[in-house]
Amino acid sequence: MTLAPAPGPAGNAVATDSVASVVGLRIHFESKAGRVYAVDGVDFDIRDGETLGLVGETGCGKSVTARSFLRLVPMPPGIHAGGSVLFRPHQRCQHCSGAGCEVCEGTGRLPTSCSKCGGDGCPVCNGTGMETIDLSTLPEKNLREIRGDRIAMIFQDPAKALNPALTVRNQIAEVFYQHRTTDVLERAGLDTSPNPLLRRHVAQRSRLLERALLALPPLRSRRQKIEGVVDDMVAAALAETQIPNPIKVMERYPHELSGGMKQRVMIAQALACNPDLLIADEPTTALDVTVQARIIELIKQLQGRHKSAVLYISHDLSLVRRVCDRVAVMYAGRIVEVGTTEEIFANPLHPYTRGLLAAIPSRTHVRGQLVAIKGTVPELIEPPPSCRFVERCSYAVDVCAEIDPTLEGTEDGHEVACFIHNPPSVAAELPSFSRRTS
Amino acid sequence: MTATVEPAEAPGTSLHGEIAISVRDLHKHFPIREGALQRVAGHIRAIDGVSFDIRRGETVGLVGESGCGKTTLGRCVSGLTDPTVGGVYFDLSGQDHDRLDSILAVPEAARTEEMRRELETLETSHRVDRLGKQEWLRYRRNCQVVFQDAFASLNPRQLVREIVGRPLKVHKEASGDQLTERVVELLERVGMGRQHLYRYPHQFSGGQRQRLSIARAIALDPELIVLDEPTSALDVSVQAQILNLLNELQRELHLTFLFITHDLSVVRHMADRVVVMYLGKISERGTTGDIFDDARHPYTHALLRSSPDVDDDPEAALVTLEGSVPDPARPPQGCRFHTRCPVATPICGWEVDDVVRWLEDEPGMFDSLTDVARHDEFTAELHFSDEDAAGQLEAALSSEKVPVEAREALIELRRDGGTVQVSFQMVGEVELTERKPGHFAACVHERAPEAK
Repeated sequence: MTLAPAPGPAGNAVATDSVASVVGLRIHFESKAGRVYAVDGVDFDIRDGETLGLVGETGCGKSVTARSFLRLVPMPPGIHAGGSVLFRPHQRCQHCSGAGCEVCEGTGRLPTSCSKCGGDGCPVCNGTGMETIDLSTLPEKNLREIRGDRIAMIFQDPAKALNPALTVRNQIAEVFYQHRTTDVLERAGLDTSPNPLLRRHVAQRSRLLERALLALPPLRSRRQKIEGVVDDMVAAALAETQIPNPIKVMERYPHELSGGMKQRVMIAQALACNPDLLIADEPTTALDVTVQARIIELIKQLQGRHKSAVLYISHDLSLVRRVCDRVAVMYAGRIVEVGTTEEIFANPLHPYTRGLLAAIPSRTHVRGQLVAIKGTVPELIEPPPSCRFVERCSYAVDVCAEIDPTLEGTEDGHEVACFIHNPPSVAAELPSFSRRTS
Repeated sequence: MTATVEPAEAPGTSLHGEIAISVRDLHKHFPIREGALQRVAGHIRAIDGVSFDIRRGETVGLVGESGCGKTTLGRCVSGLTDPTVGGVYFDLSGQDHDRLDSILAVPEAARTEEMRRELETLETSHRVDRLGKQEWLRYRRNCQVVFQDAFASLNPRQLVREIVGRPLKVHKEASGDQLTERVVELLERVGMGRQHLYRYPHQFSGGQRQRLSIARAIALDPELIVLDEPTSALDVSVQAQILNLLNELQRELHLTFLFITHDLSVVRHMADRVVVMYLGKISERGTTGDIFDDARHPYTHALLRSSPDVDDDPEAALVTLEGSVPDPARPPQGCRFHTRCPVATPICGWEVDDVVRWLEDEPGMFDSLTDVARHDEFTAELHFSDEDAAGQLEAALSSEKVPVEAREALIELRRDGGTVQVSFQMVGEVELTERKPGHFAACVHERAPEAK
């Protein structure tokens, strides 16, 4: 099977302030029934410091898109069928060593200039002059350095995402050992003459025999010093998520904590290294409403302080409306509409977005008369070249079943993939919101 | 926008209709077993004294956080578990209903021999867990359940015909070709068809599986359906389809629903009356309009204000609740919500456990706490291993660190070396009281003030 070159804005001017761009991403899965086109040509940018909401129903590919940032989609059965995820990592601000100063506007991070051209702009960095990494082709070793450090992730179910066999302290300490090795040694005052055994201990590379040696004098006291430093770092990370009495929580195992508390531990772990991009995959779906409200306020608050970009994945539109600056609506492996939150909610352009908004029970609905979208999400096995929403759309005409609409921008950055707004050049009949066809 | 759901518009929602189900002083306690001998070390009080009525043809919404006992209550009503104390009564005539209430109002010890005999007759013929074989069979026909997880509640090895036709077969309503035709009829009723007869549950989407569950539930033409979070696992667009279907079926078949959910927007859309539960007790109940527009309990306020609605102003901050739900094995005294209540008063039931809970979040002090010698729930001696910690606690209990209401409720605070003696004002349980016809709330405030 030959794959068409990924369409999309590759080669076009990429917004210079975007921290990550997904360009024509296609992730397919091989199954017994055939190839499932789970993500099929997705394009979007995440701007620095913004919260982008990715909404859609079960099976629309939103989680697969998010996981492909960190290459967490198992391959096989997954197939990376094209496109890429570009990431522009920041580096720690040299002026304040990450504490936050005027130069870095309190974020502790500064953009990294391109290693090929030194910031002048070249084909590698797409003319932006910023270091650009293609996460979909990066070697595994380099990707490990980015995971949890520059890009962090919060998962849906904290009970499953946390390791049940590790205490909260050991769990968060892993992040520091992995990504802040020199920092830990420096804080312990051991950076001038680091013993190779200690260095390996901090980088979590100790073998059994080495561990035995570290448990004996003379290395024992220095090892304990390192552990004390890490304890402080972990406590600080936990305290930031407003966990009461972090010292006590550190010694607990995940099963001893409530759902909201576990989610806080996950957030603390994710934000421990002050990442450029935080991916939150339905972080409050498993929580009660009262706890959900607190977690959302916490994420908003921390995002305001760290100014990290957040990719917020959710199926709950009322939450997305509160949390996000911009919203991308996904349907059946495609982005069907992107725009600012106000635009999407005040003036939804795609029939699917309109359907989703109308389906939420609210106080304005008369009982028993919710506007449901008819039918179900189509199976994504070898989809025909048509609008994916055509079978459930109330406004579809012949052309919708024949040609595939592309995501095109209208004024003020609101993009939509629908012939109602971007009529094709060859069509006998055009769809319109004023005419229901079914 | 000010339009609200008009409860009067839906049919069969007369608030003075016949009573289908009466729940009276229902308790369900689960034993906590410990050690090799599985000795009973305590009880989880999942439901702790709940009473309400469900009228024919109406939908009662049951809301609360996870762990508040709403699912257990649903299981008790449907007869899937037997209550520890109290019971669920069905099919009581108006006269019997009044008689039952008047007997139950008399304390057990003070009941006359005649009252006892009468109660016994009422219970054996109407109380769900004490029914005779024939009556029990009749109740099971009349009360059906739809569970949250439609996949787990459909047998994966059976075909749709067998799953949906099962109740008809068990109750010997139909067999053979007749059964098939009845199943097709039921499938068509829930928006599916003959082509689905010979498929397995895994071949359906989540929404379709929930339709199958509903088809099975309506097979015997029941009176009451307990819906336990029927749409929580579904997407909004499918949820809308299912909610519309349920409303349609209710209208056509005159069904009564007990709708259990944690989603307030769904409750507002579906229910005629709402019961709000917190930690095994009802904190407020009333008509949907009363609960959503004129809530009297601070917990209801908190629930309403913490669940985002698409029509709300997105800039308005969500009201959040402090702390977590207390241990249901040791529910708080007085009002169970006082530990998290933003508008608590000194008479809300401050007790020794509040001090211990507060200590747990204080580094240092909790580690040196060696023993809590309780005289009762409100008086105890806290023993510390070092005097400093005891001194710190004494200072903290009279400072800004603890809520001012708790300090006002503290009648005695004495330190003797490493021992701190605390004694709080004794308070009884806060009972549900009628605020206006049909609207009950369990709060010391007549109208709970808005949180600060």
